Parts: sequence; structure tokens; C-alpha cells
Amino acid sequence: MAHDATHDHHDDHHGAPKNFFVRWCMSTNHKDIGTLYLVFSLLMFFIGGSFAMVIRAELFKPGLQLVQPYFFNEMTTMHALVMIFGAVMPAFVGLGNWMIPLMIGAPDMALPRMNNLSFWILPFAFALLLSTLFLPGGGPAGGWTMYPPLSLQGDSVAYLVFAVHLMGISSIMGAINIIATILNMRAPGMDLLKMPVFVWSWLITAFLLIAVMPVLAGAVTMLLTDKYFGTSFFNAAGGGDPVLFQHIFWFFGHPEVYIMILPAFGLVSEIIPTFARKPIFGYKAMVFAIASIAFLSFIVWAHHMFAVGLPLGGEIFFMYATMLIAVPTGVKVFNWVSTMWGGSMTFETPMLFAIAFVILFTIGGFSGLMLALAPADFQYHDTYFVVAHFHYVLVTGAIFAIIAATYYWLPKWTGHMYSETWGKIHFWNSVIWVNVLFFPQHFLGLAGMPRRIPDYNVAFANFNMISSIGGFLFGASQLIFVGVVLHCVFFSKKKAPDRVWEGAKGLEWTVPSPAPYHTFELPPVIHDDELAHGHIED
Amino acid sequence: MNQPSKAVIEETRRKGVRRTVTVFGAIAIAIFLLSLLQGLKYS
Repeated sequence: MAHDATHDHHDDHHGAPKNFFVRWCMSTNHKDIGTLYLVFSLLMFFIGGSFAMVIRAELFKPGLQLVQPYFFNEMTTMHALVMIFGAVMPAFVGLGNWMIPLMIGAPDMALPRMNNLSFWILPFAFALLLSTLFLPGGGPAGGWTMYPPLSLQGDSVAYLVFAVHLMGISSIMGAINIIATILNMRAPGMDLLKMPVFVWSWLITAFLLIAVMPVLAGAVTMLLTDKYFGTSFFNAAGGGDPVLFQHIFWFFGHPEVYIMILPAFGLVSEIIPTFARKPIFGYKAMVFAIASIAFLSFIVWAHHMFAVGLPLGGEIFFMYATMLIAVPTGVKVFNWVSTMWGGSMTFETPMLFAIAFVILFTIGGFSGLMLALAPADFQYHDTYFVVAHFHYVLVTGAIFAIIAATYYWLPKWTGHMYSETWGKIHFWNSVIWVNVLFFPQHFLGLAGMPRRIPDYNVAFANFNMISSIGGFLFGASQLIFVGVVLHCVFFSKKKAPDRVWEGAKGLEWTVPSPAPYHTFELPPVIHDDELAHGHIED
Repeated sequence: MNQPSKAVIEETRRKGVRRTVTVFGAIAIAIFLLSLLQGLKYS
């Protein structure tokens, strides 16, 4: 095998530190930090998920059942903040940490100590954020968008702002680290247009992060000074403008949506070719489509604000700019389908989740197109249709891709195979219940049910009950995922080969399973036929 | 293919990483300050 001659097998001559504290708290190893991110993300996924269960339990029937309205608002706010900043983003950073150096033939991330700091900021940030639930005045309840003046009414603004600042600092440091790694640490011969699509997607995502996280930091800093230092950035009584906050926030917020989906595109672009046993269809088109989506994400922010009273010209511009995103996104969807077309496909768990991603993310994309139509948005705005839309994009999109990637690389990380049977049980439960959970919310939204309310008209009762049942069962299904992962890590007896999947290509499959603590300390000699995209002509 | 020595590769990487961090760190700080300036301008 090519790698026997070219990749040194003395990689694990010094292994992981034996001391638990030293290994996990002071680690500068990209694999350990990747694991920390992934474990943290899973924990946050269940904390954010438990908030969602409270929401769905309250909405199971009309009327106030379980919680007070203020607590309900806290749950909607915290669910979003925890899932976005605590679950989805750290999961992608964890996958990037683990896989980017392995995929480009680098020994580690470019800035290993900063990598450690980026991670360890997060538990403190979320401890701060979650602690607000136990404050006498309660936690943030004005929605994750933090629109003033509503968001300034609570007593937890300082905690929220400081937590967001910490998350932002962590994200910016992580992004700089990823850019520095990809631009400077690639093995000789790993040209930019030979890099895996996942690496490309992360490079572009990191640019987005650096461009927009400081804007969020600026917005929340102004919130803080409005609340505690007497400024009037967003206070109309003092000459400020609350709508200014919405513009600044969504200038961050819309690219943020793509920060949460572009790495998912990259992951799916790794998985589908492997199980279709074909190179990705249109590699360069896939890369340029990701870059195009990233560019367009900067000029569409006001589609979140159609109902705020924008000038007509502005509404038309943002409507058409938003619809334009369908073009590169369509390129990607058609290329994934074309990759599968005529392939020798098998349907292991990662592939099942990847195919579900393609289908269900596309549903989320189409409902996004509906929301992009300014006149239609006046009907849909702030209804459950929006909730259904972004959950199709983020749950069956981002989270399904993260789960798919976990199954895909778990044998490489642990050296053991997971249970394919239980993986498939997890998949079918997830894919059925997630649709029971979110599909009826389209109908609720079209019928006019507003989002972020703890009580509703009895006309909405049936679909809400169905949605809640789907929610409970989808939540319970994720316990199967935890079981499969724990079994694989601690109990699985089935050894994983180096190249875990028959159709897998790329440098990560040339190292042993489990991946040694140190890899590619000497840059590997790259043979194009080892790479998924080594002979790209298109 | 002749590969450069490990020391050369490491030194090249170190210089590149330092340059990348300086450039992107400066961009991040500049965007933060610019967003505050925009707030001051329009409020």
C-alpha cells in the first residue's frame, strides 16, 4: 500500500500523557482538543434539547400547562443560544480539529496552545450563560436575537453579553487557527485544489467567522452600554434606533446561518463519494458554490427584517439577493445526486444520514425560498413556518451531517467499529420522528400560529400535539446515539481497519486506526491516487 | 520528489502562521471597531 512507503509509522513514539488533568485540561493535541469539543457539544446538545422538551411539553396542549410564560421565553432563548453556540458550532470545530490536520498531512493545528484556550473558554462562557437561569430575575428571555428594548428589560444582560463575548473570542481564535493551519501547514503536494471539500468548507467558514463575530461583539457591546452606561445606540428616546440593532445583528446573523451549514456541506461531500464509490461530481463547482454562498450571505441580511418597514427598493434587493442563493445551493444538491448516480452505493449509517441530509435540507431550502419572497413573508413572518424552516436546515441539515460524520470517522478515532444495527435503528428513529416533529409546524405557521408563545388558539391543538410527540421521540432517539458511541468507544470488540470504508479516499485513511496520538510529524509524500480529489480535471 | 528538510519546513510554516495570525487578528479587531463606529454614526 502506498502509505506504507511514504508515511512514517513511528508516529506514536510518544503517546498521550497518563495524567488525566494534564491530558484533557492542558492538551495541545488536535485530536484530544477535537474530542473535548465533540464531548462538550454533545453535552450542550442534550442541555439545549432538554429546553426544547420543556417547550414541546408546554405546547402539547393549548393553555398554560407546566411553566410560567417568562420561563417559557427563557427556554426558547436559551434553547437557541445553547444549540447554536454550544452544540452545532463546537461540533464543527471539533470535527475540524480532529480531521483537518489529518486530511492535509499536518502534524497538528498551527497554534496548539491557542487551540486549548479556544476550547476552555467555552465551558466558562456556558456556565455563565446557564447560571442566569438561577438568578433572582431569571435569565435572558428576549429571544436569541436579543432585540432591544425587549432584551434590555431583564437583569441578566451583563451575563449574556459577557458570555457572548467569550463565545465570540473562542470562535475567532478557532477560525484564525483553522485558516493558519490550512494556509501554512499543508503537506508539500497538497495543493489548495486537491484539498478535501470538508477542508475547503472550513476554510471559507473561518473567513465568515472572522468577518462577522466581531460585528456581533460590537452589537452586544452597544447593548451593554445602552443598559448600564446611559448610551442610546438603540434607544429611540435618546436619538437612537432599535432597528439599527436588527441591521447589525443580522449582518452577523445571516452569515452565522451559513457558518452552521457550510461545514455540513463539506462533511456530506466527503461521505457521499465514499459510499457511492465515485469521486465527487464537479469538485471545483462544489468549492466555488461554497464560496459563492459565503459571499452572498453578506448581502441578504435584511430578509430577516421584511416586516420592519424597509424601503421598497431595499425589500426587492434583499428578496432577489436571497433567491440568488438557491443557484449555488442547487449546484451542490445536484452534484450530490450526480455523485450518487451510477455509483456502487451501499447504505451504511453515515450514508443514510447523508442522504437524509440531502433530501431534508432541500425541504428546508425550499421553505427558505418561500420566506425570501417579501410579500409572502408578511404572512409567514414570526410564525411557526419560520420555526419549521430553520429546524429543517439546522436539525436535518447541520445536526444530521454532524451525526453522519461521527459515524463516518468514529472507527478512525476509536479503532473499533460501531454497531451498524443500532446505528440504523438510530437513523430510522431520527428520520421518522424529526419529520413528525417539524413537518406539522409548516401547517401551523401557514395557519398563523406565532412563534415564541406558550399558549395558542385551540385551532392549532392537533398539529401541536403531533409535533410534541415527534419531539419527545426524536429526543429519546438521540439516547440511542449516545449508546452507540459509548459502546464503540468502550466495549466494541470489532477492530477497525486503517481504511475503514471500502470507497474512502484521503490522507486520514492512510494512518492506523485508531489514529496515533501524533501523526504526520514528517510531512507525508502525497500521491494523487491516495486523495479523493487528486486528479481533478473539471 | 525531493522534500525540503524538516527544519526548513518548520521555519516556513512558523513565518506563515505568524503572518496569517497578524493579518486576520488585525482584521477581526478592525471589524469590531468599525461596527462600533457605525453604531455611533447612525445613533
